[in-house]
Amino acid sequence: MKASRAAALILGLLAACAPARAGRDALAVRDDAGVTVRLARPAGRVVSLIPATTELLFAIGAGRTIVGRTHWCDYPAEARSIPDLGDGLRPNLEAVAAVRPELVVLYRSAQNAEAAARLRALGIPAVQFAVDRLADVPRVARALGALTGRRRGADSLAAAFDTALAAATTPASPAAPALLLLAWDQPPMTIGAGSFLSEVVERAGARNLFGDLPAPSGTVSLETIATRDPDAILVATEGEPAFVRRPEWQAIRAVRERRLVRVTGSSFSRPSPRAPEAIRELRARLAEVLR
Amino acid sequence: MRGHRWVGLGAVAVVACAAGVAIGAAPLALPDIGRGLLGAGGPAATVVRELRLPRVVLGFLIGGSLSVSGAALQALIRNPLAEPYLLGLSGGAALGAVAAIALGLPGAWSVPLAAFAGTLLVLALVYRLSLIEGRRLEPHVLVLAGVVMSALTGALVTAVLVLADAARLKNAYTWLLGGLESASWPAVLLFAGYAALPLGLLVLRSRTLDLLALGDEPARHLGADPDRARREVYLATGLLTAAAVAACGMIGFVGLIVPHAVRRLWGPLHRALLPAAFVLGGSFLVLADVLARSVARPLELPVGVVTALIGVPLFAVLLRRSLT
Repeated sequence: MKASRAAALILGLLAACAPARAGRDALAVRDDAGVTVRLARPAGRVVSLIPATTELLFAIGAGRTIVGRTHWCDYPAEARSIPDLGDGLRPNLEAVAAVRPELVVLYRSAQNAEAAARLRALGIPAVQFAVDRLADVPRVARALGALTGRRRGADSLAAAFDTALAAATTPASPAAPALLLLAWDQPPMTIGAGSFLSEVVERAGARNLFGDLPAPSGTVSLETIATRDPDAILVATEGEPAFVRRPEWQAIRAVRERRLVRVTGSSFSRPSPRAPEAIRELRARLAEVLR
Repeated sequence: MRGHRWVGLGAVAVVACAAGVAIGAAPLALPDIGRGLLGAGGPAATVVRELRLPRVVLGFLIGGSLSVSGAALQALIRNPLAEPYLLGLSGGAALGAVAAIALGLPGAWSVPLAAFAGTLLVLALVYRLSLIEGRRLEPHVLVLAGVVMSALTGALVTAVLVLADAARLKNAYTWLLGGLESASWPAVLLFAGYAALPLGLLVLRSRTLDLLALGDEPARHLGADPDRARREVYLATGLLTAAAVAACGMIGFVGLIVPHAVRRLWGPLHRALLPAAFVLGGSFLVLADVLARSVARPLELPVGVVTALIGVPLFAVLLRRSLT
């Protein structure tokens, strides 16, 4: 009993000291799961298990610290030469530990919470970030800058991003064309307001046909699509998607008139410093299709 | 008394179809719907004629086919738990659909066609596994073969899911949950033309299905050929189910619950049971689809979720009543 009380006291003292030390080094970051991660020194070996953070690390000048990535990290091209540690969800802890990381960056999800806890138990600092929206780009860039000792690079990236974003944005207008953001066609699934792509569409001067759907995505019926009558359909496939030849889709005017806007490439699939470029590209394609 | 029941059933079907045309994902005014049905132009008319009406008809045909399949299988296997997906067919459909999406097969119809092919493959394998001396299908062997094939296809589906692009395959799963969203007039005509043969055969075998319940020996004394009947009924129900899966994914509970409900109301004779199951199953699925389309606007629920949510409590009430 006494021993355990003494141990608790020591632990308490240690805990009390820790913030002071971290404060001096200023290397404490609170992640999106609400966990404060403290590093003794900037991480020199990082495993980045989100394509968006791999891209951000390169953008703030910390690309060379990355020693592991996900299967989907394809930008910039240099990322390809980093060891592939899997798909990023519920990572193989053995593979992660084998590259001796000083920091592991995980996507914030219930599945990854357990992985983060187990990594910390192994003595490997792990952070979880949700990189889902435009606003996450500068925010997570700054956090990664702090953790890897690239504060200045992160700050200038964040400032440049905000400026470029503001310059690329078209002010909202009631006459904005309505776009159906089609994620899947059988059954029809749309991308809702709570998503990065919806933000890109709105800043490109269009309107999400299902902007009233707060979730990132949802299954909707052809009937609703036909009644809401989109001006064009945004698809993420190369070439002509198969659904435009299906008879039931002919009830939709934009399908009959083949008004399709194709967005391919990773700048449309995840928030990144390239988002302002993506917004401009979408605006140009939209102008072509709706001409 | 018997006549009253048929009139009631007809009324249920009419109400279901009227609701299916009147209520949908998009709130349309009744006069617009009427004009659409009468051939007027305009966006509302297009929605009614090209989306809503074929959806109601396809839903009716599929609900009816699944119910008839379930009723015939319950007689074939002599097990009240039998339903169209019991004999491993759902696993074959899942494997086909998931493989088509993982391999990125091109074409507007690749997913339903692959699901159909997967279902036929399992249908053939289970048939071959269960056939004794080249002619006899043993019910308990059929069930075991179905369970084994389910396990195998389940393992293969999991392997594909782990190895391929997860986001796309999640969509394959949503497709399998079942829904009538891909209904169109060509789909209705294709399904109706195809389903007529197995449905007709099952109705023609009504008496044989009654006799199977007595056991093989008595059935034979009464002039039936149980071996041949089992083979025909197995293949007919399997072919019906395969087409239903290809048209709209897997819609559970219709084929399990409706036959039991009808048996309690119409008695066990298949001559009345099968047609009644067709009409009640069709009406039930159309009504369930009305709810699936309209309760969570603008979102759409998988219709299989609705069939279970309404079907199970209704069935529970019916079951308790018939026991007291």
